[in-house]
Amino acid sequence: MLALDRVSKTYPNGVQALARFSAEIRQGEIIAIIGGSGCGKSTLLRAIAGLDRASSGTVTLDNEAISSPHAKIGIIFQEPRLLPWLSVADNIGFGLADLPAAERGEKVARALERVGLTEKAQAWPRELSGGQAQRVAIARALVPQPEVLLLDEPFSALDAFTRRDLQDHLLDLWADTRPTLVLVTHDVDEAVVLADRVLVMRPRPGRLFDQIEINLGRPRDRNSPLFENFKRSVLTSLDRSLDRSVPDRDATQGPGQAMWW
Amino acid sequence: MLLSLILRSPHKAGVSKDEARAQLAKSHMRFPCPPGEGKRLLAFPRQTRLLMTMISDAPVLQQASEPAESAAAPSRLSRYARPMLGLLLPLTLALGWELVVWLGWSNGRLVPPPSRIFATIAELARSGELVRHITATLWRVALGFAFGVVAGTLLGAISGYWSLARRLLDPTVQALRAIPSLAWVPLFILWLGIFETSKVALIAVGVFFPVYLGVMGAILSVDRKIVEVGRTFRLSGPAMIRRILLPAVLPAYVVSLRVGLGLGWMFVVAAELIGASEGLGYLLLDGQQLGKPAQILAAIVIFAILGKLTDWLIEVAAAPFLRWQDAFVRAKGA
Repeated sequence: MLALDRVSKTYPNGVQALARFSAEIRQGEIIAIIGGSGCGKSTLLRAIAGLDRASSGTVTLDNEAISSPHAKIGIIFQEPRLLPWLSVADNIGFGLADLPAAERGEKVARALERVGLTEKAQAWPRELSGGQAQRVAIARALVPQPEVLLLDEPFSALDAFTRRDLQDHLLDLWADTRPTLVLVTHDVDEAVVLADRVLVMRPRPGRLFDQIEINLGRPRDRNSPLFENFKRSVLTSLDRSLDRSVPDRDATQGPGQAMWW
Repeated sequence: MLLSLILRSPHKAGVSKDEARAQLAKSHMRFPCPPGEGKRLLAFPRQTRLLMTMISDAPVLQQASEPAESAAAPSRLSRYARPMLGLLLPLTLALGWELVVWLGWSNGRLVPPPSRIFATIAELARSGELVRHITATLWRVALGFAFGVVAGTLLGAISGYWSLARRLLDPTVQALRAIPSLAWVPLFILWLGIFETSKVALIAVGVFFPVYLGVMGAILSVDRKIVEVGRTFRLSGPAMIRRILLPAVLPAYVVSLRVGLGLGWMFVVAAELIGASEGLGYLLLDGQQLGKPAQILAAIVIFAILGKLTDWLIEVAAAPFLRWQDAFVRAKGA
Protein backbone atom coordinates (compact mmCIF):
# COMPACT_ATOMS: atom_id res chain seq x y z
CA MET A 1 0.00 0.00 0.00
CA LEU A 2 1.16 3.49 -0.86
CA ALA A 3 0.41 5.87 1.99
CA LEU A 4 0.75 9.64 1.93
CA ASP A 5 0.56 11.18 5.34
CA ARG A 6 0.18 14.95 5.60
CA VAL A 7 2.67 15.60 2.81
CA SER A 8 3.56 19.30 2.54
CA LYS A 9 6.01 21.07 0.31
CA THR A 10 7.17 24.64 0.61
CA TYR A 11 9.69 25.80 -1.98
CA PRO A 12 12.70 27.88 -0.92
CA ASN A 13 11.04 30.96 -2.44
CA GLY A 14 8.24 30.63 0.08
CA VAL A 15 5.58 29.24 -2.25
CA GLN A 16 3.58 26.54 -0.54
CA ALA A 17 2.90 24.03 -3.31
CA LEU A 18 1.38 21.31 -1.22
CA ALA A 19 -0.38 21.42 2.13
CA ARG A 20 -1.02 18.37 4.27
CA PHE A 21 -1.97 15.98 1.52
CA SER A 22 -3.02 12.56 2.78
CA ALA A 23 -4.22 9.54 0.86
CA GLU A 24 -4.02 5.79 0.99
CA ILE A 25 -3.67 3.94 -2.25
CA ARG A 26 -4.17 0.19 -2.42
CA GLN A 27 -1.82 -2.08 -4.33
CA GLY A 28 -3.05 -2.36 -7.91
CA GLU A 29 -5.37 0.61 -7.68
CA ILE A 30 -5.44 3.19 -10.45
CA ILE A 31 -5.59 6.74 -9.15
CA ALA A 32 -5.98 9.87 -11.22
CA ILE A 33 -5.02 13.18 -9.67
CA ILE A 34 -6.70 16.11 -11.35
CA GLY A 35 -6.78 19.81 -10.63
CA GLY A 36 -6.20 23.28 -11.95
CA SER A 37 -2.71 24.43 -12.84
CA GLY A 38 -0.46 25.16 -9.91
CA CYS A 39 -2.36 22.89 -7.55
CA GLY A 40 0.73 20.87 -6.73
CA LYS A 41 -0.09 17.74 -8.75
CA SER A 42 3.39 17.39 -10.14
CA THR A 43 4.96 18.33 -6.84
CA LEU A 44 3.04 15.53 -5.21
CA LEU A 45 4.11 13.05 -7.83
CA ARG A 46 7.75 14.05 -7.51
CA ALA A 47 7.54 13.58 -3.76
CA ILE A 48 6.16 10.06 -4.23
CA ALA A 49 8.90 9.34 -6.78
CA GLY A 50 11.53 10.46 -4.27
CA LEU A 51 12.85 13.03 -6.74
CA ASP A 52 12.00 15.92 -4.40
CA ARG A 53 11.77 15.61 -0.68
CA ALA A 54 8.60 16.76 1.06
CA SER A 55 9.05 19.62 3.53
CA SER A 56 7.03 17.64 6.06
CA GLY A 57 4.90 14.56 6.13
CA THR A 58 5.81 11.11 4.90
CA VAL A 59 5.39 8.93 1.85
CA THR A 60 5.53 5.22 2.63
CA LEU A 61 5.34 2.20 0.36
CA ASP A 62 4.52 -0.96 2.32
CA ASN A 63 5.65 0.81 5.49
CA GLU A 64 8.97 1.78 3.94
CA ALA A 65 9.58 5.54 3.92
CA ILE A 66 10.39 7.00 0.48
CA SER A 67 12.92 9.81 0.44
CA SER A 68 14.86 8.98 -2.70
CA PRO A 69 14.06 7.10 -5.92
CA HIS A 70 13.05 3.55 -5.13
CA ALA A 71 13.41 0.35 -7.14
CA LYS A 72 9.74 -0.47 -6.78
CA ILE A 73 8.60 2.92 -8.05
CA GLY A 74 8.76 3.81 -11.73
CA ILE A 75 7.89 7.12 -13.31
CA ILE A 76 6.82 8.30 -16.75
CA PHE A 77 7.11 11.99 -17.52
CA GLN A 78 5.20 14.26 -19.82
CA GLU A 79 8.04 14.01 -22.35
CA PRO A 80 9.40 10.58 -23.20
CA ARG A 81 12.89 11.57 -21.99
CA LEU A 82 14.56 8.82 -23.96
CA LEU A 83 18.33 8.86 -24.05
CA PRO A 84 19.09 10.00 -27.59
CA TRP A 85 22.37 8.07 -27.79
CA LEU A 86 20.79 4.69 -27.05
CA SER A 87 18.77 2.60 -29.47
CA VAL A 88 15.13 1.92 -28.62
CA ALA A 89 16.04 -1.50 -27.25
CA ASP A 90 18.86 -0.11 -25.10
CA ASN A 91 16.55 2.62 -23.81
CA ILE A 92 14.04 0.02 -22.68
CA GLY A 93 16.81 -2.02 -21.05
CA PHE A 94 18.28 1.04 -19.34
CA GLY A 95 17.00 0.11 -15.89
CA LEU A 96 18.14 -3.51 -16.20
CA ALA A 97 21.88 -2.89 -16.25
CA ASP A 98 22.44 -5.28 -13.35
CA LEU A 99 20.97 -8.26 -15.19
CA PRO A 100 23.08 -10.56 -17.38
CA ALA A 101 22.90 -9.56 -21.04
CA ALA A 102 20.90 -12.59 -22.15
CA GLU A 103 18.17 -12.14 -19.57
CA ARG A 104 18.04 -8.42 -20.26
CA GLY A 105 17.76 -9.02 -23.99
CA GLU A 106 14.90 -11.40 -23.43
CA LYS A 107 12.97 -8.99 -21.21
CA VAL A 108 13.55 -6.12 -23.61
CA ALA A 109 12.38 -8.21 -26.54
CA ARG A 110 9.22 -9.14 -24.68
CA ALA A 111 8.57 -5.51 -23.74
CA LEU A 112 9.15 -4.39 -27.32
CA GLU A 113 6.65 -6.93 -28.52
CA ARG A 114 4.21 -5.87 -25.85
CA VAL A 115 4.28 -2.22 -26.97
CA GLY A 116 4.29 -3.25 -30.63
CA LEU A 117 7.65 -1.77 -31.53
CA THR A 118 9.68 -4.91 -32.26
CA GLU A 119 10.69 -3.66 -35.68
CA LYS A 120 11.96 -0.41 -34.14
CA ALA A 121 14.34 -2.15 -31.73
CA GLN A 122 17.48 -0.78 -33.36
CA ALA A 123 16.05 2.63 -34.30
CA TRP A 124 17.26 5.84 -32.66
CA PRO A 125 14.78 7.73 -30.50
CA ARG A 126 14.77 10.65 -32.93
CA GLU A 127 13.33 8.36 -35.58
CA LEU A 128 10.19 7.69 -33.54
CA SER A 129 6.92 9.57 -33.60
CA GLY A 130 5.68 11.17 -30.39
CA GLY A 131 3.35 8.29 -29.61
CA GLN A 132 5.99 5.66 -30.31
CA ALA A 133 8.52 7.47 -28.14
CA GLN A 134 6.05 7.61 -25.26
CA ARG A 135 5.36 3.89 -25.68
CA VAL A 136 9.10 3.26 -25.38
CA ALA A 137 9.10 5.37 -22.22
CA ILE A 138 6.24 3.27 -20.84
CA ALA A 139 8.08 0.07 -21.69
CA ARG A 140 11.25 1.40 -20.07
CA ALA A 141 9.38 2.18 -16.87
CA LEU A 142 7.48 -1.13 -16.80
CA VAL A 143 10.31 -3.49 -17.66
CA PRO A 144 11.81 -3.52 -14.14
CA GLN A 145 8.28 -4.49 -12.95
CA PRO A 146 7.65 -1.68 -10.47
CA GLU A 147 4.94 -2.02 -7.85
CA VAL A 148 3.99 1.60 -8.34
CA LEU A 149 4.04 3.46 -11.62
CA LEU A 150 3.73 7.24 -11.53
CA LEU A 151 2.61 9.09 -14.64
CA ASP A 152 2.99 12.85 -14.91
CA GLU A 153 0.59 14.00 -17.66
CA PRO A 154 2.03 11.27 -19.86
CA PHE A 155 -0.22 11.79 -22.88
CA SER A 156 -0.80 15.53 -22.79
CA ALA A 157 1.65 16.24 -25.62
CA LEU A 158 -0.02 13.80 -27.99
CA ASP A 159 -2.87 14.25 -30.44
CA ALA A 160 -6.34 13.03 -29.48
CA PHE A 161 -6.24 9.77 -31.44
CA THR A 162 -2.81 8.74 -30.23
CA ARG A 163 -3.83 9.68 -26.72
CA ARG A 164 -6.83 7.34 -26.80
CA ASP A 165 -4.72 4.54 -28.24
CA LEU A 166 -2.14 4.93 -25.54
CA GLN A 167 -4.72 5.10 -22.76
CA ASP A 168 -6.15 1.77 -23.87
CA HIS A 169 -2.67 0.44 -24.34
CA LEU A 170 -1.66 1.49 -20.85
CA LEU A 171 -4.63 -0.36 -19.35
CA ASP A 172 -3.71 -3.39 -21.40
CA LEU A 173 -0.15 -3.30 -20.06
CA TRP A 174 -1.38 -2.62 -16.55
CA ALA A 175 -3.37 -5.86 -16.65
CA ASP A 176 -0.12 -7.86 -17.03
CA THR A 177 1.30 -7.23 -13.58
CA ARG A 178 -1.30 -4.88 -12.08
CA PRO A 179 1.00 -2.28 -10.56
CA THR A 180 -0.45 0.67 -8.68
CA LEU A 181 -0.85 3.56 -11.10
CA VAL A 182 -0.84 7.16 -9.95
CA LEU A 183 -1.65 9.39 -12.88
CA VAL A 184 -1.51 13.15 -12.85
CA THR A 185 -3.65 14.66 -15.57
CA HIS A 186 -5.69 17.69 -16.49
CA ASP A 187 -7.86 15.71 -18.88
CA VAL A 188 -11.20 14.70 -17.29
CA ASP A 189 -11.84 12.13 -20.00
CA GLU A 190 -8.51 10.49 -19.32
CA ALA A 191 -9.12 10.42 -15.59
CA VAL A 192 -12.51 8.74 -15.95
CA VAL A 193 -11.30 6.22 -18.55
CA LEU A 194 -8.36 5.08 -16.52
CA ALA A 195 -8.97 5.57 -12.83
CA ASP A 196 -10.65 3.58 -10.09
CA ARG A 197 -10.64 6.75 -8.05
CA VAL A 198 -10.18 10.39 -9.03
CA LEU A 199 -8.60 12.76 -6.53
CA VAL A 200 -9.46 16.40 -7.18
CA MET A 201 -6.96 18.93 -5.90
CA ARG A 202 -7.42 22.57 -5.08
CA PRO A 203 -4.68 25.14 -5.73
CA ARG A 204 -2.86 27.71 -3.57
CA PRO A 205 -1.79 25.81 -1.60
CA GLY A 206 -2.30 22.44 -3.22
CA ARG A 207 -4.47 20.14 -1.16
CA LEU A 208 -7.01 17.42 -1.57
CA PHE A 209 -10.45 18.80 -2.38
CA ASP A 210 -12.60 15.86 -3.29
CA GLN A 211 -12.44 12.29 -4.41
CA ILE A 212 -14.71 10.39 -6.72
CA GLU A 213 -14.89 6.62 -7.06
CA ILE A 214 -15.41 5.55 -10.65
CA ASN A 215 -17.51 2.43 -10.30
CA LEU A 216 -17.40 1.37 -13.90
CA GLY A 217 -16.37 -1.99 -15.26
CA ARG A 218 -13.58 -2.34 -17.78
CA PRO A 219 -13.22 -1.89 -20.64
CA ARG A 220 -15.07 1.39 -20.37
CA ASP A 221 -17.18 2.80 -23.13
CA ARG A 222 -16.31 6.45 -23.55
CA ASN A 223 -19.75 7.15 -25.02
CA SER A 224 -21.98 5.46 -22.46
CA PRO A 225 -24.33 7.64 -20.38
CA LEU A 226 -22.79 6.29 -17.20
CA PHE A 227 -19.37 7.41 -18.37
CA GLU A 228 -20.82 10.85 -19.09
CA ASN A 229 -22.26 10.94 -15.60
CA PHE A 230 -18.92 10.30 -13.98
CA LYS A 231 -17.31 12.84 -16.24
CA ARG A 232 -19.88 15.41 -15.19
CA SER A 233 -19.37 14.77 -11.52
CA VAL A 234 -15.59 15.12 -11.90
CA LEU A 235 -16.08 18.32 -13.87
CA THR A 236 -18.45 19.71 -11.27
CA SER A 237 -16.03 18.93 -8.51
CA LEU A 238 -13.22 20.49 -10.53
CA ASP A 239 -15.29 23.62 -11.08
CA ARG A 240 -16.03 23.88 -7.42
CA SER A 241 -12.36 23.39 -6.60
CA LEU A 242 -11.50 26.42 -8.73
CA ASP A 243 -14.53 28.62 -8.14
CA ARG A 244 -13.99 30.81 -5.13
CA SER A 245 -17.68 31.82 -4.92
CA VAL A 246 -18.72 28.30 -4.02
CA PRO A 247 -18.72 28.27 -0.23
CA ASP A 248 -15.70 26.40 1.00
CA ARG A 249 -16.94 24.32 3.86
CA ASP A 250 -13.60 24.31 5.59
CA ALA A 251 -10.86 26.40 4.10
CA THR A 252 -8.01 24.41 5.53
CA GLN A 253 -9.35 20.94 5.07
CA GLY A 254 -11.74 21.04 2.16
CA PRO A 255 -15.11 19.36 2.16
CA GLY A 256 -14.75 15.94 3.66
CA GLN A 257 -16.39 13.35 1.54
CA ALA A 258 -13.90 10.88 2.86
CA MET A 259 -11.11 12.64 4.68
CA TRP A 260 -8.53 11.10 6.88
CA TRP A 261 -7.78 14.02 9.13
CA MET B 1 23.49 51.63 -30.29
CA LEU B 2 26.25 53.93 -31.38
CA LEU B 3 24.28 54.98 -34.40
CA SER B 4 21.20 55.76 -32.41
CA LEU B 5 23.39 57.81 -30.08
CA ILE B 6 24.65 59.76 -33.05
CA LEU B 7 21.12 60.23 -34.28
CA ARG B 8 19.94 61.56 -30.98
CA SER B 9 22.77 64.04 -30.38
CA PRO B 10 24.27 65.11 -33.69
CA HIS B 11 26.12 68.05 -32.08
CA LYS B 12 28.09 66.00 -29.64
CA ALA B 13 29.11 63.42 -32.18
CA GLY B 14 29.96 66.13 -34.69
CA VAL B 15 27.84 64.84 -37.56
CA SER B 16 24.70 66.32 -38.98
CA LYS B 17 21.43 64.47 -38.76
CA ASP B 18 21.35 63.83 -42.47
CA GLU B 19 24.82 62.38 -42.48
CA ALA B 20 23.91 60.10 -39.64
CA ARG B 21 20.76 58.97 -41.40
CA ALA B 22 22.74 58.20 -44.51
CA GLN B 23 25.22 56.22 -42.44
CA LEU B 24 22.43 54.31 -40.83
CA ALA B 25 20.94 53.47 -44.19
CA LYS B 26 24.33 52.41 -45.51
CA SER B 27 24.99 50.19 -42.55
CA HIS B 28 21.69 48.47 -43.15
CA MET B 29 22.67 47.89 -46.71
CA ARG B 30 26.06 46.59 -45.75
CA PHE B 31 24.77 44.13 -43.20
CA PRO B 32 21.65 42.68 -44.68
CA CYS B 33 20.14 40.25 -42.24
CA PRO B 34 17.82 37.74 -43.86
CA PRO B 35 14.78 36.96 -41.75
CA GLY B 36 15.33 34.01 -39.47
CA GLU B 37 19.12 34.29 -39.61
CA GLY B 38 19.37 35.68 -36.11
CA LYS B 39 16.98 33.04 -34.81
CA ARG B 40 19.05 30.28 -36.27
CA LEU B 41 22.11 31.47 -34.39
CA LEU B 42 20.12 31.39 -31.19
CA ALA B 43 19.08 27.85 -31.92
CA PHE B 44 22.62 26.56 -31.42
CA PRO B 45 23.17 24.79 -28.12
CA ARG B 46 24.73 26.94 -25.49
CA GLN B 47 28.20 25.43 -25.56
CA THR B 48 28.42 25.76 -29.32
CA ARG B 49 27.44 29.39 -29.11
CA LEU B 50 30.08 29.86 -26.44
CA LEU B 51 32.72 28.55 -28.80
CA MET B 52 31.35 30.46 -31.73
CA THR B 53 31.65 33.74 -29.93
CA MET B 54 35.23 32.87 -29.10
CA ILE B 55 36.42 31.86 -32.51
CA SER B 56 34.35 33.08 -35.36
CA ASP B 57 35.50 30.42 -37.81
CA ALA B 58 34.92 27.49 -35.52
CA PRO B 59 33.96 24.33 -37.41
CA VAL B 60 30.52 24.30 -35.94
CA LEU B 61 28.51 21.13 -36.39
CA GLN B 62 25.39 21.89 -38.33
CA GLN B 63 22.26 21.33 -36.37
CA ALA B 64 19.76 19.66 -38.61
CA SER B 65 16.65 21.73 -38.85
CA GLU B 66 14.83 19.52 -41.32
CA PRO B 67 13.52 16.08 -40.49
CA ALA B 68 15.95 13.24 -41.12
CA GLU B 69 13.82 11.78 -43.89
CA SER B 70 14.63 14.59 -46.28
CA ALA B 71 18.27 13.48 -46.40
CA ALA B 72 17.49 9.79 -46.49
CA ALA B 73 17.68 9.11 -50.21
CA PRO B 74 19.36 11.80 -52.30
CA SER B 75 19.66 10.99 -55.96
CA ARG B 76 23.04 9.68 -57.04
CA LEU B 77 23.73 12.69 -59.22
CA SER B 78 23.20 15.28 -56.51
CA ARG B 79 25.20 13.19 -54.05
CA TYR B 80 28.32 13.45 -56.16
CA ALA B 81 27.62 16.71 -57.90
CA ARG B 82 27.13 18.77 -54.77
CA PRO B 83 30.69 18.55 -53.38
CA MET B 84 31.99 19.09 -56.91
CA LEU B 85 30.13 22.38 -57.00
CA GLY B 86 32.33 23.67 -54.19
CA LEU B 87 35.47 22.83 -56.18
CA LEU B 88 34.33 24.85 -59.16
CA LEU B 89 35.46 28.27 -57.96
CA PRO B 90 38.97 27.43 -56.70
CA LEU B 91 39.69 25.23 -59.73
CA THR B 92 38.55 27.91 -62.15
CA LEU B 93 40.68 30.51 -60.42
CA ALA B 94 43.74 28.24 -60.38
CA LEU B 95 43.38 27.22 -64.01
CA GLY B 96 42.69 30.80 -65.01
CA TRP B 97 45.83 32.03 -63.34
CA GLU B 98 47.84 29.19 -64.83
CA LEU B 99 46.58 30.26 -68.24
CA VAL B 100 47.38 33.92 -67.63
CA VAL B 101 50.98 33.09 -66.74
CA TRP B 102 51.29 30.59 -69.58
CA LEU B 103 50.11 33.20 -72.08
CA GLY B 104 52.74 35.56 -70.72
CA TRP B 105 50.26 38.21 -69.54
CA SER B 106 51.95 38.05 -66.14
CA ASN B 107 55.33 36.74 -65.15
CA GLY B 108 53.87 35.11 -62.02
CA ARG B 109 56.89 36.04 -59.93
CA LEU B 110 55.01 37.24 -56.85
CA VAL B 111 51.95 35.08 -57.43
CA PRO B 112 53.30 31.83 -58.84
CA PRO B 113 50.89 29.66 -60.82
CA PRO B 114 49.75 26.33 -59.37
CA SER B 115 52.16 24.33 -61.50
CA ARG B 116 55.14 26.15 -59.98
CA ILE B 117 53.79 25.61 -56.44
CA PHE B 118 53.41 21.90 -57.05
CA ALA B 119 56.86 21.75 -58.61
CA THR B 120 58.24 23.32 -55.42
CA ILE B 121 56.43 20.77 -53.30
CA ALA B 122 57.72 17.95 -55.49
CA GLU B 123 61.26 19.22 -55.23
CA LEU B 124 61.05 19.57 -51.45
CA ALA B 125 59.67 16.05 -51.30
CA ARG B 126 62.49 14.66 -53.47
CA SER B 127 65.22 16.16 -51.34
CA GLY B 128 63.61 14.77 -48.17
CA GLU B 129 63.25 18.31 -46.80
CA LEU B 130 59.48 18.11 -46.90
CA VAL B 131 59.25 15.06 -44.66
CA ARG B 132 61.64 16.62 -42.18
CA HIS B 133 59.64 19.87 -41.96
CA ILE B 134 56.28 18.13 -41.82
CA THR B 135 57.48 15.74 -39.12
CA ALA B 136 58.81 18.60 -37.00
CA THR B 137 55.58 20.57 -37.27
CA LEU B 138 53.28 17.58 -36.78
CA TRP B 139 55.21 16.50 -33.70
CA ARG B 140 54.90 19.96 -32.15
CA VAL B 141 51.19 20.14 -32.86
CA ALA B 142 50.63 16.63 -31.56
CA LEU B 143 52.46 17.29 -28.29
CA GLY B 144 50.90 20.69 -27.75
CA PHE B 145 47.46 19.36 -28.62
CA ALA B 146 47.87 16.43 -26.24
CA PHE B 147 48.90 18.63 -23.30
CA GLY B 148 46.24 21.23 -24.07
CA VAL B 149 43.48 18.65 -24.38
CA VAL B 150 44.43 16.84 -21.18
CA ALA B 151 44.61 20.04 -19.15
CA GLY B 152 41.50 21.54 -20.75
CA THR B 153 39.46 18.39 -20.27
CA LEU B 154 40.50 17.91 -16.65
CA LEU B 155 39.97 21.49 -15.55
CA GLY B 156 36.85 21.89 -17.68
CA ALA B 157 35.32 18.74 -16.22
CA ILE B 158 36.17 19.77 -12.66
CA SER B 159 34.67 23.22 -12.98
CA GLY B 160 31.68 21.93 -14.91
CA TYR B 161 30.85 19.21 -12.43
CA TRP B 162 31.65 20.96 -9.20
CA SER B 163 30.30 24.44 -8.69
CA LEU B 164 32.69 25.34 -5.88
CA ALA B 165 35.64 24.62 -8.19
CA ARG B 166 33.97 26.67 -10.87
CA ARG B 167 33.72 29.65 -8.56
CA LEU B 168 37.35 29.23 -7.54
CA LEU B 169 38.85 28.45 -10.89
CA ASP B 170 36.77 29.90 -13.65
CA PRO B 171 37.34 33.63 -13.07
CA THR B 172 41.10 33.10 -13.23
CA VAL B 173 40.89 31.00 -16.37
CA GLN B 174 38.60 33.55 -18.00
CA ALA B 175 41.02 36.33 -17.10
CA LEU B 176 43.91 34.39 -18.59
CA ARG B 177 41.84 33.71 -21.68
CA ALA B 178 41.48 37.44 -22.20
CA ILE B 179 45.24 37.71 -22.72
CA PRO B 180 46.16 37.34 -26.38
CA SER B 181 47.99 34.04 -26.29
CA LEU B 182 50.88 35.35 -28.37
CA ALA B 183 51.67 37.74 -25.53
CA TRP B 184 53.03 34.73 -23.66
CA VAL B 185 55.75 34.17 -26.25
CA PRO B 186 58.50 36.32 -24.70
CA LEU B 187 57.82 34.89 -21.28
CA PHE B 188 57.78 31.31 -22.53
CA ILE B 189 61.07 31.89 -24.31
CA LEU B 190 62.61 33.29 -21.13
CA TRP B 191 61.23 30.49 -18.99
CA LEU B 192 61.45 27.52 -21.30
CA GLY B 193 64.17 28.44 -23.78
CA ILE B 194 64.00 29.05 -27.49
CA PHE B 195 63.72 25.39 -28.48
CA GLU B 196 60.91 22.88 -28.47
CA THR B 197 59.49 23.34 -24.96
CA SER B 198 58.36 26.92 -25.44
CA LYS B 199 56.76 26.09 -28.80
CA VAL B 200 54.84 23.14 -27.40
CA ALA B 201 53.75 25.23 -24.42
CA LEU B 202 52.42 27.96 -26.69
CA ILE B 203 50.43 25.47 -28.74
CA ALA B 204 49.11 23.84 -25.58
CA VAL B 205 47.89 27.21 -24.32
CA GLY B 206 46.08 27.78 -27.59
CA VAL B 207 44.41 24.37 -27.44
CA PHE B 208 43.56 24.58 -23.75
CA PHE B 209 40.96 27.35 -23.77
CA PRO B 210 38.45 26.07 -26.31
CA VAL B 211 38.65 22.60 -24.81
CA TYR B 212 38.22 23.91 -21.28
CA LEU B 213 35.26 26.09 -22.27
CA GLY B 214 33.73 23.35 -24.38
CA VAL B 215 33.86 20.72 -21.66
CA MET B 216 32.62 23.03 -18.93
CA GLY B 217 29.82 24.45 -21.06
CA ALA B 218 28.78 20.99 -22.19
CA ILE B 219 28.55 19.66 -18.66
CA LEU B 220 26.63 22.71 -17.50
CA SER B 221 24.11 22.38 -20.28
CA VAL B 222 23.39 18.67 -19.89
CA ASP B 223 19.60 18.33 -19.87
CA ARG B 224 18.39 18.22 -16.27
CA LYS B 225 15.45 16.10 -17.39
CA ILE B 226 17.71 13.37 -18.66
CA VAL B 227 19.77 13.46 -15.49
CA GLU B 228 16.47 12.93 -13.68
CA VAL B 229 15.91 9.75 -15.67
CA GLY B 230 19.24 8.54 -14.33
CA ARG B 231 18.11 9.42 -10.82
CA THR B 232 14.84 7.53 -11.12
CA PHE B 233 16.85 4.45 -12.07
CA ARG B 234 19.04 5.11 -9.02
CA LEU B 235 22.34 5.38 -10.85
CA SER B 236 25.38 5.78 -8.61
CA GLY B 237 27.71 8.74 -9.14
CA PRO B 238 30.16 6.91 -11.43
CA ALA B 239 27.31 5.22 -13.33
CA MET B 240 25.64 8.59 -13.81
CA ILE B 241 28.86 9.98 -15.29
CA ARG B 242 29.43 6.95 -17.52
CA ARG B 243 25.88 6.37 -18.71
CA ILE B 244 24.42 9.88 -18.80
CA LEU B 245 27.00 12.67 -18.59
CA LEU B 246 29.70 11.32 -20.91
CA PRO B 247 27.42 10.52 -23.84
CA ALA B 248 25.53 13.77 -23.36
CA VAL B 249 28.73 15.80 -23.38
CA LEU B 250 30.44 14.03 -26.26
CA PRO B 251 29.09 16.02 -29.24
CA ALA B 252 30.13 19.34 -27.74
CA TYR B 253 33.44 17.81 -26.69
CA VAL B 254 34.21 16.78 -30.25
CA VAL B 255 33.43 20.29 -31.45
CA SER B 256 35.75 21.75 -28.85
CA LEU B 257 38.52 19.32 -29.84
CA ARG B 258 38.19 20.41 -33.44
CA VAL B 259 38.27 24.08 -32.49
CA GLY B 260 41.27 23.36 -30.27
CA LEU B 261 43.08 21.59 -33.08
CA GLY B 262 42.43 24.53 -35.39
CA LEU B 263 44.00 26.84 -32.83
CA GLY B 264 46.89 24.40 -32.43
CA TRP B 265 47.68 24.77 -36.13
CA MET B 266 47.44 28.53 -35.82
CA PHE B 267 49.83 28.63 -32.93
CA VAL B 268 52.38 26.27 -34.43
CA VAL B 269 52.84 28.79 -37.22
CA ALA B 270 53.33 31.57 -34.71
CA ALA B 271 55.79 29.45 -32.74
CA GLU B 272 57.77 28.49 -35.80
CA LEU B 273 57.86 32.02 -37.18
CA ILE B 274 59.49 33.16 -33.96
CA GLY B 275 62.49 30.95 -34.28
CA ALA B 276 62.89 27.52 -35.72
CA SER B 277 65.35 25.73 -37.94
CA GLU B 278 62.82 23.27 -39.26
CA GLY B 279 59.10 22.98 -39.67
CA LEU B 280 56.55 24.34 -42.10
CA GLY B 281 56.60 27.71 -40.36
CA TYR B 282 60.31 27.84 -40.98
CA LEU B 283 59.62 27.23 -44.69
CA LEU B 284 57.31 30.25 -44.65
CA LEU B 285 59.94 32.48 -43.05
CA ASP B 286 62.70 31.15 -45.28
CA GLY B 287 60.55 31.80 -48.35
CA GLN B 288 59.94 35.35 -47.25
CA GLN B 289 63.57 36.12 -46.50
CA LEU B 290 64.90 34.59 -49.71
CA GLY B 291 62.06 35.91 -51.87
CA LYS B 292 60.57 32.55 -52.83
CA PRO B 293 56.76 33.02 -52.93
CA ALA B 294 56.31 29.54 -54.41
CA GLN B 295 57.84 28.05 -51.26
CA ILE B 296 55.55 30.13 -49.04
CA LEU B 297 52.50 29.02 -51.00
CA ALA B 298 53.73 25.44 -50.95
CA ALA B 299 53.93 25.57 -47.16
CA ILE B 300 50.47 27.14 -46.99
CA VAL B 301 49.02 24.42 -49.20
CA ILE B 302 50.57 21.75 -46.97
CA PHE B 303 49.23 23.49 -43.86
CA ALA B 304 45.79 23.45 -45.41
CA ILE B 305 46.03 19.78 -46.28
CA LEU B 306 47.38 18.77 -42.86
CA GLY B 307 44.85 20.91 -41.02
CA LYS B 308 41.94 19.47 -42.95
CA LEU B 309 43.33 15.94 -42.62
CA THR B 310 43.76 16.06 -38.85
CA ASP B 311 40.34 17.66 -38.44
CA TRP B 312 38.87 14.90 -40.55
CA LEU B 313 40.64 12.31 -38.39
CA ILE B 314 38.88 13.63 -35.29
CA GLU B 315 35.58 13.65 -37.12
CA VAL B 316 36.02 10.08 -38.33
CA ALA B 317 37.18 8.86 -34.93
CA ALA B 318 34.15 10.42 -33.26
CA ALA B 319 31.57 9.46 -35.87
CA PRO B 320 30.79 5.96 -34.51
CA PHE B 321 29.90 7.50 -31.14
CA LEU B 322 27.76 10.25 -32.62
CA ARG B 323 25.66 8.26 -35.05
CA TRP B 324 22.60 9.07 -32.96
CA GLN B 325 22.83 12.75 -33.77
CA ASP B 326 20.60 14.34 -36.37
CA ALA B 327 23.48 16.38 -37.70
CA PHE B 328 25.47 13.36 -38.80
CA VAL B 329 22.67 11.95 -40.88
CA ARG B 330 22.55 15.17 -42.79
CA ALA B 331 26.32 15.36 -43.16
CA LYS B 332 26.25 11.93 -44.82
CA GLY B 333 23.55 12.98 -47.26
CA ALA B 334 25.04 16.35 -48.11
